[in-house]
Formats: sequence, C-alpha cells, structure tokens
Amino acid sequence: MRGWGAVTSLGWSAPDSACNLIAGKAPPAAAGVSSHLINREYKAFEVSYSGNPFDKSIAMLESALAEAFARAELSADEIAESSILVGTTGGLFIRNEYEFTKAVRENPDEESSAISCRNRGPGEVADLIVNKYGIKGLALTFSMACVSSSHALVVSADLLKRKKIRRAIVVGFEPLLNMTLHGFASLLLFDYDQCRPFCATRAGMQIGEAAAVVILEADESSFSKYKFAGGYLYNDIKSMTSAGIDGVTVSEVVQQTLTSSRLSADDVVVIKAHGTGTIDNDLSEGRGLVKLFGEKLPPVVSLKGAIGHTLGAAGAVETAVWLSCCEEGFIPRSFGFSEIDPEIGFAPSQKNIEARDGAYLFTYFGFGGTCTSYLIIKE
Amino acid sequence: MSTKNNKLKNSNTAIPIIAASYIGPALTPNSDAIWEEEKLPLNTDNLVNEIMGQPMRRVGRFIKMVCCGGLACLQKVSLDYLKGKKTGIFMSTGLGNVDEIMPFITQVFKHGGGFPSPNQFANSVSNAAAFVLAQICEVTGTVLTISQEELSFEAALWLAQSYLESGEIELALVGGCDIFTPPVEEYRERVNLAPDEARLIPMGESSSWLLLGNSEGEKIGNILTVDFGEKLIPPEEFSVSENILSRSEKLISASFSDDSTGQKKSRILLPGFRVNKIEPDFWKLKGWEIDDYLPFCGINSTAAAFGIARALREKQSALFVHYNCYASGKQAFVVASTK
Repeated sequence: MRGWGAVTSLGWSAPDSACNLIAGKAPPAAAGVSSHLINREYKAFEVSYSGNPFDKSIAMLESALAEAFARAELSADEIAESSILVGTTGGLFIRNEYEFTKAVRENPDEESSAISCRNRGPGEVADLIVNKYGIKGLALTFSMACVSSSHALVVSADLLKRKKIRRAIVVGFEPLLNMTLHGFASLLLFDYDQCRPFCATRAGMQIGEAAAVVILEADESSFSKYKFAGGYLYNDIKSMTSAGIDGVTVSEVVQQTLTSSRLSADDVVVIKAHGTGTIDNDLSEGRGLVKLFGEKLPPVVSLKGAIGHTLGAAGAVETAVWLSCCEEGFIPRSFGFSEIDPEIGFAPSQKNIEARDGAYLFTYFGFGGTCTSYLIIKE
Repeated sequence: MSTKNNKLKNSNTAIPIIAASYIGPALTPNSDAIWEEEKLPLNTDNLVNEIMGQPMRRVGRFIKMVCCGGLACLQKVSLDYLKGKKTGIFMSTGLGNVDEIMPFITQVFKHGGGFPSPNQFANSVSNAAAFVLAQICEVTGTVLTISQEELSFEAALWLAQSYLESGEIELALVGGCDIFTPPVEEYRERVNLAPDEARLIPMGESSSWLLLGNSEGEKIGNILTVDFGEKLIPPEEFSVSENILSRSEKLISASFSDDSTGQKKSRILLPGFRVNKIEPDFWKLKGWEIDDYLPFCGINSTAAAFGIARALREKQSALFVHYNCYASGKQAFVVASTK
C-alpha cells in the first residue's frame, strides 16, 4: 500500500482525522449547515468549508488525491500510467441538489419546477480524475451502496495479483446529499440523536461525508509497512437490507477472507468493523464475529460513531484513516458506545490501543446483500 | 499484459460466448422492432410476463429491464445450467436507476414536504438491480455493478474476462442496461452528448447480456480482446477511420497470432455512438462491413452491449470490432468472433 489520503469531518487530511480520533476530539454529528440541506433535523458528520457544497465536494476529492499522491511520491508519469477504481453511490449528484436549492433561494416568490437530474452517473467522478491527471490506465467505477470502495479495493488487489494492472488508485467519494439523508430516514434506519455502534441503545446510522484515496501497487520489492493480504467479496441473496441476524453470513465471509489470505483468526490483532449503529447490522456483525473468534475476539472498533457512515466511500476512507492511526502509533477507541447489548455480548474497544504489528481485519456489509472483508498486515 | 503473445497491456485471453440476447426500446427480445423516441418509454408489463412468466412487483422499469435482459440471455441454457457452477454477474449501467431516483428526489424536494417512498429509495441504489437478478439466478459469488458512462459495458466485459481467466469463476453473466428517462433533453445531457462528439440520432434504451464461460462445445463465438487503447485522444480524432482501422487490425492480428484461419472470416465494424462520422466507402475498400446497430436501440450509455449481442446472434463466421470512445478521449475496442 503505497499511499493514502482522506478528508473527513475530522480534518482535511488522513493524519488530521487520525490525530483527532486518538486525542478523543470527535464531536458528535450536528445539524447540517451546508446551503443545499433542506432538513436540519438530520444530524450529520459534515466537512467544514466556507464555499458552496459543490465546490466543497470537488475540493475534498482533489485534496484526498493530492495527499495520497504526495505520500506515495508518485510522479506525473506514474499517475498517468495508473488505473483508477472509484467507489461512489451519489457521484456528482450533489450538483443537482445544489443548483436546485440555489435557484429556489434566489427566486423566493416563484414556484420552482421539479428538480432536474443532469449528472452523468457514478462514472463521472472517475472521468474528472482521468481528465485532470491524464490517466491512461483502466477507469472503473463501482456503484454498490456501502461497499462501493471496499469492493474496489479487493478487486484492485485481485487485478494487481494477476498482473492485469500496474498500480491502482482507489477512490471513495461521497458528498452529503439530501437524497441519502431522507432515504435512510424513510427506511427508519436513521438515528436522530447519536450514532452508537454495537451499543444496546443504538437506533440507527448517521451519515458522514468524505473523500479518500488509497494507492495499491504490485511491487514486491516495496518497503511499504502495510500490505494488503487478501480480501473476499460475497453476495448474500437472502435479503437486500440485512446480512442475517444469526451472524452466519458474517462469520463465513470473514473465514473466507482469512483462508484466502492464508491467515488464521489468531493472527488478527484488531477488527475494524462496519458497525453502522443500525440494530440489524450490528447484531449480525457482532454475532458473526463472536461465532468465528469466540473468546479470542480481538478488540473491535467502529469508526462510524466519530466520522459517520460515509456510504460508498467507507472502504477507502476507513482504510486511509486507519493507516494514519497506525502511523501515529495508536488505534482509537470506538465512539458512541455506553452499554453492552446482551444479544451481541461484547463491548467495542473503549480505549486507544497500541498499533502493533500484525493483521488488521476490515469488514463492510451493504445494501443489496453485498459483503466485503479484507486484511491489511502491518509489518 | 497477458495476451497470447504478451504484447498488449490490459488484454485478457479469448473467452467463449455461450449465449447472447438483446432488448431495445421496442421491448421485443432479439428483434429489430420499430420504435419512435416520442413514444418512449413503453410499458414493460408484456415483456415481464413473456420473460418472467409473472409480474414483478415493487420494482421500477430499470430493475425489470435488467432482469428481463439477463433472463432472456439465460433462456438458451435455462437457469439450471448455472447450478453448481461458480457464476459471476457483471452488471453495467451508465446512469443507473434514474427511473426511481427522480420520483424519489422530487418527493424529497417537494414544496411543503413530500413523503419519499422507502421502497423507491432502496431500489434507487444502483446495485439493487443486480441483487434482484442474482436472487432470481441464485448467484452468491462475484456480483458487481460497474459504471463508467459510455464505456461501462466494455469495463464490465474486461473485468468478467479477467475473472474467468483467473479461474475464480466458471461462468459470467455480463450485461449492460440503461433506460429512457424523460425529459429527453435532460437524458441527452446526462449522456454528455454534444453535436460534434456523437451521432445525431434519437435517444433509446437497452438491456443486453452475454453468458461467457469456458465451455468450448456450446459456444456461439468468442470475446477475443477488450482493449482501452494506449492514450487519450482529442474529440477531432474520435472518428478518424484510418486510426480505428489500424488499431482494429493490430488487435485482430494479436488475437490470432497462432491461428491464421480465424483471420479469414469477414470483418465487421460496430461503431459506437461517439463515432459521429462513418465512412462506408473507406471500410468497404479495406474489406470491412459496417453494422450500424444504433438505429435499432438509439443512443444510450450501454448501447455497446446491444450492438455486440445483436451481431453475435445474427452474423455467422465473422470477426467484429466494436469501437467507442469516452468524451474525455479514452477509447475502447471489443474484438469478438462467431463460429
């Protein structure tokens, strides 16, 4: 893993987010302030910015790319010969929402026409990057709800292993949208108070906005401290919205990941769980992890109580922030927890842990039965 | 990096095509039925009944079109054919489920407060369609929803070919679906059409699918190469026949380096919608035919899938090259052949 960068509600770089997490400076979600948001009841983890929300989204993307390229020390030629794999659900849909709300605000006495949809689909983000950096390699966008960029990471690693691509620039991008805030609220999956992963009092998720970039390379002579050991993708056809609260699916997905990486449960030092704070996700994930690890369950951390659920960007964002935490020497505690759920049976980690060498497990479970899991080894 | 002669970057080995199917705006599977842009979109009820044998509830046109397209392709082999085989679904779409995104977002922004439908929100997520198709086909392995504007299908095909080549899956159901969503002016804008960068023909829709696998005995043809070129080209070079011909012939030669008889098949160019100038006389002089499939499906982001599936069904003993270009200048060539 050659480089990474991230913009979250905790800062405009991955180290900023990591340092704030480790220092416990992770304020809870707050009422949205962006000019395009139409309902202030929905608390969210918003990235601070003084301009309009569309400009902010582009600035987030460019900042994450610049940070990752700088950390990876990639030359312009190396960037151009790379492949780009983007994970996003909303793409640049933010433009529709921003332009519509702006037009309504500027014409308060007129009844507006319905919002129009002028964005070019999820692939537009990759095209923007291809144009800016002259990227000649493969361009590919995964639009697969919450696993979009985690799937992109696993597919990239597979393509690198098979020597199909030389280098992968994996991007996760998710601006804050009215569409998703209202959508999850309509599904009764939204917590109006606080995001509380694995807590007995949890009542739903809260959305965060973010952009992140992770650069993977097949260079075996690389001196990188972090190696992508392997991943597993699974499609659960039993339910569009739940990974099964018995935990069987989660346990099998993680076991497959360990097998494909030639590692055992004992090798895992910390689990970066999906931990959305919804009743079903945390129950299925918690039970699945207990089923597999039993009494040897390593510390479990969800980042969503601190940066929100960044939807399609979650894979790249949580990986980038996690790696920066490792660089700072500590894995942060899991925010938003107060009481053990007896049906889950464990508390997520409540103190900073030394980021020791070993395998870190990452899990993601999304809409449409999608499951991703992968292991990153710190050496 | 891994073609037969190891000369071309990013290329995969030839993969047999077991079945192909296409549905265009007239909603008549595998037929060049007449349609008019002004009358689109047509009701999908009859199509759903014909293909699925029963109505589909709680889903919009996009998901219905994806499922009908995928199942129409599998009709040749039946759903049982997939049982016990490691199968992947690679669904591509340029725009996704705009058909359900628009009414949902209209309700969100309705004056005085709307009541957005949770069901519509769940369906609007791009991979909901692949989930429903996977559920019908009972596919639990690799199920990916891929989107890359007008090169979405080519990207999905390349990825499927790569997964098949690695042995990770035995079969791949690869398709492209985009649907007509009015008003047409906005639809054209979403597809990023400018008069000098695309054909001037009506907008359309399609759901077209290929079943790929390593079964030589049952194949109707091969996907030989999916190639994304080596450089970004400016708009004025999108349609230069000499350049398209030169690259196509190089790719064909590379695909047949150890089998010269394959190269003797008739050669057919399938031009994508970014090719705004087609020169039939030039191609005829060079021994090529043009198969102008676009009038049968209209412009849509995954029209390439329609063109390729239609050619595979209708042209025997032929070599095809489908060519299209991204507005930013990235090119895509798909080389296929029939028995």
